[in-house]
Amino acid sequence: MNRNSRKILISYVLMVVVLVVFFFVSVGLGSADIKIKDIVKSLVSTDEVLLGKIIISIRLPRIIAAIVLGGALATSGVLLQIFFGNPIAGPYVLGISSGAKLIVALVMVFLLSKGVYINSIGMVSAAFVGSLISMGFVMLLANKVRNMSFLVVCGVMIGYICSAITEFVIAFADDSNIVNLHNWSLGSFSGITWGNVVISLIVVVVTLGCVFLLSKPIGAYQMGEAYARNMGVNIKRLRILLILLSSILSATVTAFAGPISFVGIAVPHIMKSIMKTAKPIIMVPATFLGGAIITLFCDGVARTAFAPRELSISAITAIGLAPVVIYLIVKRREGSNV
Amino acid sequence: MSRGIDLQALTVGYKNPVISEATFNVEPGQIVALIGPNGAGKSTVLKTITRQLQKLDGTVYLQGMDEANMTEDDVAKLLSMVMTERIHPELMSCYDVVATGRYPYTGRLGNLRKEDHKTIDEAINLVGASEIIDKDFMKISDGQKQRVMLARAICQEPEVLVLDEPTSFLDIQFKIDILSVIKRLAKEKNIAVLMSIHELEFVPAIADFVVAVDEGRVVKVGSPEQVITGKQIQSLYHMEENTGDVLVKSLWEYAKGLKELLANK
Repeated sequence: MNRNSRKILISYVLMVVVLVVFFFVSVGLGSADIKIKDIVKSLVSTDEVLLGKIIISIRLPRIIAAIVLGGALATSGVLLQIFFGNPIAGPYVLGISSGAKLIVALVMVFLLSKGVYINSIGMVSAAFVGSLISMGFVMLLANKVRNMSFLVVCGVMIGYICSAITEFVIAFADDSNIVNLHNWSLGSFSGITWGNVVISLIVVVVTLGCVFLLSKPIGAYQMGEAYARNMGVNIKRLRILLILLSSILSATVTAFAGPISFVGIAVPHIMKSIMKTAKPIIMVPATFLGGAIITLFCDGVARTAFAPRELSISAITAIGLAPVVIYLIVKRREGSNV
Repeated sequence: MSRGIDLQALTVGYKNPVISEATFNVEPGQIVALIGPNGAGKSTVLKTITRQLQKLDGTVYLQGMDEANMTEDDVAKLLSMVMTERIHPELMSCYDVVATGRYPYTGRLGNLRKEDHKTIDEAINLVGASEIIDKDFMKISDGQKQRVMLARAICQEPEVLVLDEPTSFLDIQFKIDILSVIKRLAKEKNIAVLMSIHELEFVPAIADFVVAVDEGRVVKVGSPEQVITGKQIQSLYHMEENTGDVLVKSLWEYAKGLKELLANK
């Protein structure tokens, strides 16, 4: 084993260890337990049973969702960066998360007005449609002007438009259930159920499997379209698959946790600088692990930092990761290879 | 039918034809130089052959097979290329870049086998890039990049090699190195080489045949002696009266020297 692959292996092992540690810390930490304990104390006989219930029905699904969806979000980001050949692409800045959010909100409000509750699969489907619509706009613009910053500015604008419409929809819907939509629309893992977790797990595992099997053509695509084609890659099929897979991943995240900022852009770069390679076969699993760790950590901060008040996870990811993105842009301006 | 590459009435272009009905072939072991003024459509022809552009009409045969009926993978095993577009691979060593040439031969996940490593090492030695293989591709000079890209194309084990201006923007020492590698490839590995080239003074030293394109068509196909003449060059490059002969005379002088240099390499 050469020096580089040993370093990669050590990085993997370390990340798994950190993830396990964060997992147990997250299960133990929390603000809600005391509050809920006080409220429900009279109803349940022993604290132990109650604590178990909190852990199993509230905290565990939330933690597992943060791991699975955080990883999915970062992976979606790395796919978009490869697709656009743009290091500052990600589902949030390109407005793809906001497009998903808008369609989910519209479908939810419409169905609620008919007295129907949308299920997990319905949410993911709506988010997927929304993602593809936003992605379509972004690609249209990307075709017109081949400029990295322009693409991001357009994405941010699309994001603003979608968020504004979502706000209208939520503000004018009067059902009490819609109130929860507000938290979700800012990005939050609170209120995630086991049902959501199971669907997320299935979708994310299958999608990641596909991404992993595509590592070879994706690696070739990083050499540019012309050379990838010359190596025997079916470019058209690969591009379609990249869009579909990244949209499925970011749509699943948005369906259950709302739009979460900057994880999709920043994590792939953090991983590249740790792993010292951009090879997809190493980067895809690493980005998933990195996304999981960072999202789990940020969710932990969001729910405990100002307990019992809960922050939106995007507030935390923005503070932590937006500087990474700024650093990337500045680095690129200086002409160095990021 | 040629065992190398064969163009039959190939019309190339974007919406409108840039070059119409080009017919010529490159046999294994031959080097054919594609010449013509800027914007004549040399790159368009090469991009069509490498399937980056859809042909408008006609046929490209690779080893006698119609390229249009071949899969990406089949073409990749027969034809490789070095184009003028710069690539910006992230965090890839020169070795990694060369290794991408093994793509058509590796398995599902692209893991390199022992024999792949052997082919890669051979290609690197052939272009004389063994000293830079561990360096980051983005941090080497243009001349070195060109060598690495040529090694990449070689380890794809092609029967046909397409090169778009392989010597442009390099300093003279790199130009001569690259030309000598191309010549060795054609002769030792019996590869059919089709290359566009701006430096006419290199053509007699390197090419077996010359294809001249201008004003939307192939204007002349022949040996360097037949194509690189004062009259031909004057009209091909739209030069002033009586300037062609002067130029071509000194050009052949230069080429003679270069030929000797290449022979001694």
